[in-house]
Amino acid sequence: MGSFSVSIEPLVSLDKVSYLYPRSKKLALCDISLEIHKGEFLGLIGPTGAGKTTLCLTLNGIVPQFYGGRFFGRVTVAGLDTVDHPISTLARHVGVVFQDPETQLIATSVENEIAFALENLCVPREEIKERIPRVLAAVRLEGTEHKHPHELSGGQKQRLAIAAALAMQPDLMVLDEPTSQLDPVGAEEVFATVRELNREVGMTIVMASHAAEEMAEYADRIVLLYDGRIIAAGTPDEIYAQIDLLYEHYLRPPQVAETFYMIGKRGAPVNKPPVRMREGAMLLDTLYQQCTIAAPKNLSMPVFHRGEPLLSVQDLKHTYPDGTQALQGVSLDIHEGEYVLIIGQNGAGKSTLVKHFLNLLRPTAGTVKIGGVEVGNFSVSELARRIGYVAQNPDNQIFSTTVGNEVSFALRNLGYSAKEVEERTVESLEAMGLLDVRDAHPLSLPKGDRARVVIAAILAMKPEVIIFDEPTTGQDFRGARFILDISRKLHQMGKTVLVITHHLYLMPEYAERVIVMGKGTILLDAPIREAYHQVELLRSTFLSPPQAVLLAQQLNHRERQDWKLLTPREVADCFVCHSNGKGGMV
Amino acid sequence: MLKFQTVERDSIFSHLDFRSKLLMMVVVSIVAFVWESPIALAALTFVVVAACLLAGVKSGYIKFIMKVMSPFYLLLLITHGFWNIEQVKSLTGKQVLTPLFAFPHSWWLIGGASMSLEGFLYGWSVIFKTLTLVMVIPLAIFTTDIDNMIVSMVRAKIPYKLTFIFSSTLRFFPLLFEEIQTIIEAQRLRGLAVEKMGPVQRVRIYAQIAVPLILGAMVRSQQLEVVLQAKAFTGSAERTYLHESLLHRSDYVVIALCILLLLLVAILYFWFDVGKYAWILFR
Repeated sequence: MGSFSVSIEPLVSLDKVSYLYPRSKKLALCDISLEIHKGEFLGLIGPTGAGKTTLCLTLNGIVPQFYGGRFFGRVTVAGLDTVDHPISTLARHVGVVFQDPETQLIATSVENEIAFALENLCVPREEIKERIPRVLAAVRLEGTEHKHPHELSGGQKQRLAIAAALAMQPDLMVLDEPTSQLDPVGAEEVFATVRELNREVGMTIVMASHAAEEMAEYADRIVLLYDGRIIAAGTPDEIYAQIDLLYEHYLRPPQVAETFYMIGKRGAPVNKPPVRMREGAMLLDTLYQQCTIAAPKNLSMPVFHRGEPLLSVQDLKHTYPDGTQALQGVSLDIHEGEYVLIIGQNGAGKSTLVKHFLNLLRPTAGTVKIGGVEVGNFSVSELARRIGYVAQNPDNQIFSTTVGNEVSFALRNLGYSAKEVEERTVESLEAMGLLDVRDAHPLSLPKGDRARVVIAAILAMKPEVIIFDEPTTGQDFRGARFILDISRKLHQMGKTVLVITHHLYLMPEYAERVIVMGKGTILLDAPIREAYHQVELLRSTFLSPPQAVLLAQQLNHRERQDWKLLTPREVADCFVCHSNGKGGMV
Repeated sequence: MLKFQTVERDSIFSHLDFRSKLLMMVVVSIVAFVWESPIALAALTFVVVAACLLAGVKSGYIKFIMKVMSPFYLLLLITHGFWNIEQVKSLTGKQVLTPLFAFPHSWWLIGGASMSLEGFLYGWSVIFKTLTLVMVIPLAIFTTDIDNMIVSMVRAKIPYKLTFIFSSTLRFFPLLFEEIQTIIEAQRLRGLAVEKMGPVQRVRIYAQIAVPLILGAMVRSQQLEVVLQAKAFTGSAERTYLHESLLHRSDYVVIALCILLLLLVAILYFWFDVGKYAWILFR
């Protein structure tokens, strides 16, 4: 709870709200009753499609006033009924920050962005001029008044969106997955800003997010939505401790809670799994006295790949035309059959490196080879046969009118015979489980299936290497696991897999080797167990090691060991406990 | 990243209000439309291009425009030189045109076609006319701050909704351009050898970009609508503006000069034939 107290009178009240989008047969919201109090930080969690965005949009009247459809029940914000009052009036009371930093900034300069809503609300010019520096200072963007939004980083863009909402001096700030498109630095900037607004100024916050660890840390109350209904509501300690409930609704608990839940399953006296690291660390200390710690068994060891590398980079430098030195002497070898994770902040050089593999960029200095031959000797289309590239947004990679044509698109380009095109298309569709929807329009499929279509299309070229560029960005836990499971399947098929992601906690089950990049150099290249335990190095480049790794380090410190544990299960497996009747799982 | 272009040089043009420049654009365009004389139009083009350079528009940009327009200009010279016969006869009052050269009669289809000096020069006048129209735009737009442009447009009684569409186009154009690049890149990574294709094949491929591009634009435009609603945008002209648009003495001078120029051109054209096609050349 922040230094500002939560008032008893609700600022927002939802009374038996149900909502049906036009031309939809399924309720997006179903019988929602909820009160939000002034000064409260309310977290909304739920998988994609649970109704989080719809609920956010009911708070400023966009649902139902803009979308239409059928609306039941009543929503009041600051005493105003959201159906009776125009959206422009409600906008004075409810500031909204959306998911995509690109779409929500509409002006051509930072100051114009902040001024836009105020101008619409007919705020006098002198007052607008007074508010701009004030809100920019509140989000720590002073001095950027005349910059174009394009010149800002992702985190800065979201902070600008917060500043623009803040300028309207709203009673309530609604943030709909504001960090899902950001790198860890950007996400941290946004969370810090929101926390400050809540705790220092007493701003009421409603935030939808998949970031379990951060929500557990900052929210006063969590509401779990699923299929348009409220499944549970309570403090983060109450909600995130119910691991089975979260699993059941395809949600990821904070790793610290998951770890202690598993330790409890092994008979340790864990009444309620802690949901924040500091409490987890304290509980770990008390459990030593009641459990025996056993050395971990069967930790998977990295496979050493020898021989000629498949991809080889020697002293690679790349300088962009504007003078940015994106790569400053990078050298690495990737062998056939490896699963490599590349991590680092935006601007660290990850994408620039990968684009050299694909010959989309030419080295300023140094060499890039595939199978011992410089990639510059191949055209982009020739390299496409050997290296498949799956970009973040599948919709930018779909050009055909049927799934079958989409998969055969590349094969026709590459001049295969009709027979071979057919054979490879069927084989690829089968491998991705898409044969049944061969004649469907790719865009008629759900997003996860569209991603599979793109992967099937790439697989048809039978590449040796497949690169996944931020496949987990903007995905919920289920969506991210879905794509990573495919990557594992491809790896098991013998493909060399490279994955770029910011979500470190997802990767221990998949990756073998980690390359940490920063400022155009390789900061670390090590097996995943080594890399994840280089906590200081990861933190120095603003990457947060998973909580299970931090707990493992505490365990190591106590036991004077150097066990390279990565997952909640591995940490829990070290605890050999006997239930004394007082403990056990709740 | 493609950005809205602005000039860096501080010149008289960057100090003028956009309304003055808008009037200047309109007057120069009217003069370019009215005049037919290649000599007068060449002089006008020269003045506009010189003003562009003086204002700091990069010579590379002017060269780029010339390069892009050159096939069109060649076509103008050929069509007017060979086939614009009746119009130049009536403009010059000549019964017989001056031949520059002719194709031998034995040639298939074009045999006997003759290029006339009058038609050829008329082609040049059209080239200068279009060049003036194209070059006066950067002179006004690139030298103006977008804020000033928008407020000036509103002050010039252009409906706010139109002004908003204009400003958001400037905001979202780079994004659209980026998306096109991403899609082309994705196609190349699926084995599409654009570099080895002929122009017809390329056009066919570019047509395919439309599918994801339109889809993306549709999704984005709906998101944008929601964002605008949340920012209390109603499209109403009843709103305040952060930026001001003030006319200074230099603006009044430019406005007066523009009106005077227009009057002078009209008087000289209608009473003294200055700027008519046959002026100087065929009298």
